[in-house]
Amino acid sequence: MISDPTSHALIRRLQTTSAIDEKDISAIRSLPIEVKTYGPGQHVVRDGERPTACCLLAEGFCIRSKTTWEGRRQILSIHIPGEIPDLQSLYLHVMDHDLVTLTESKLGFIPHAALKDMVRQQPNLAGVLWRDTLIDAAMFREWIVNVGQRPAASRLAHIVVELRERLKVVGRGAGAHVDMPLTQEQIGEAMGITPIHANRIIKQLREDGVLEFHRGHVTVLDERKLEELAHFDDRYLHLTPSR
Amino acid sequence: MPRYHFHIQENGCLIKDEEGQEFLDREAVRKEAVETGASIARDAFMSGSASLVIVDVQREDRTCLKVSISLSVEE
Repeated sequence: MISDPTSHALIRRLQTTSAIDEKDISAIRSLPIEVKTYGPGQHVVRDGERPTACCLLAEGFCIRSKTTWEGRRQILSIHIPGEIPDLQSLYLHVMDHDLVTLTESKLGFIPHAALKDMVRQQPNLAGVLWRDTLIDAAMFREWIVNVGQRPAASRLAHIVVELRERLKVVGRGAGAHVDMPLTQEQIGEAMGITPIHANRIIKQLREDGVLEFHRGHVTVLDERKLEELAHFDDRYLHLTPSR
Repeated sequence: MPRYHFHIQENGCLIKDEEGQEFLDREAVRKEAVETGASIARDAFMSGSASLVIVDVQREDRTCLKVSISLSVEE
């Protein structure tokens, strides 16, 4: 089946966060998914558009963002394979933010009608997807706390640790390297600071022996220092299924 | 477009901006420098790592704008 590798990470993630059974898995596998490849920095869906399909990120990285009338962009979330960043478009018809690729990405488009059919036939999956959007909201709450309250170095440390924990769920986190394909400017946009301030934080984290940023990934230099800085508690990711 | 480098000094400790950025006009440079300075100063003042933050904006290796933000607390 063509769609198998596309839905693989999604199934793996849902198996961790929710209770799904064989019937659910085969329903997901039989979804009609149209796979498209995007280059880096391309809009997948724009603010104000009315998409007719949800997109499942199969390979690559995307962000959700909003831009003010002055042209300043705030990155709202970072997305990894196995996630459906615009699942909300199933019921909220007009997009209220942008979905943009960070790297070359493979996206699987699932028509809204097919998703609606699936949840009608498998009510358990309706619960699973509902839970998924609730976890999405929990992550936004944490993002607000992060941007609003933590000092910049802790803020960046927290983003890195969260990304690593989420990548682990889909089998992509290994060793001291964390895939994080954000430029200095994009790190600034995620943290709500200027690129120069982001640069200063990146240098500080390296000098303090906590994290080293490279093009496309981050190396953890000292796990204990990172934990002390990030104060990361994964409770808000709700990684164990609640029954 | 001309390239500007924003070098940061915190209590005399220099953090160089090797990359630099392009800006449409001087007003945009000024805005970015003030915002960068204020944002770094907030972090430095709150953590107590510095009480003076200077953004030294250079164009072709010459200072064209300087933003200084200092903290003074009287008790």
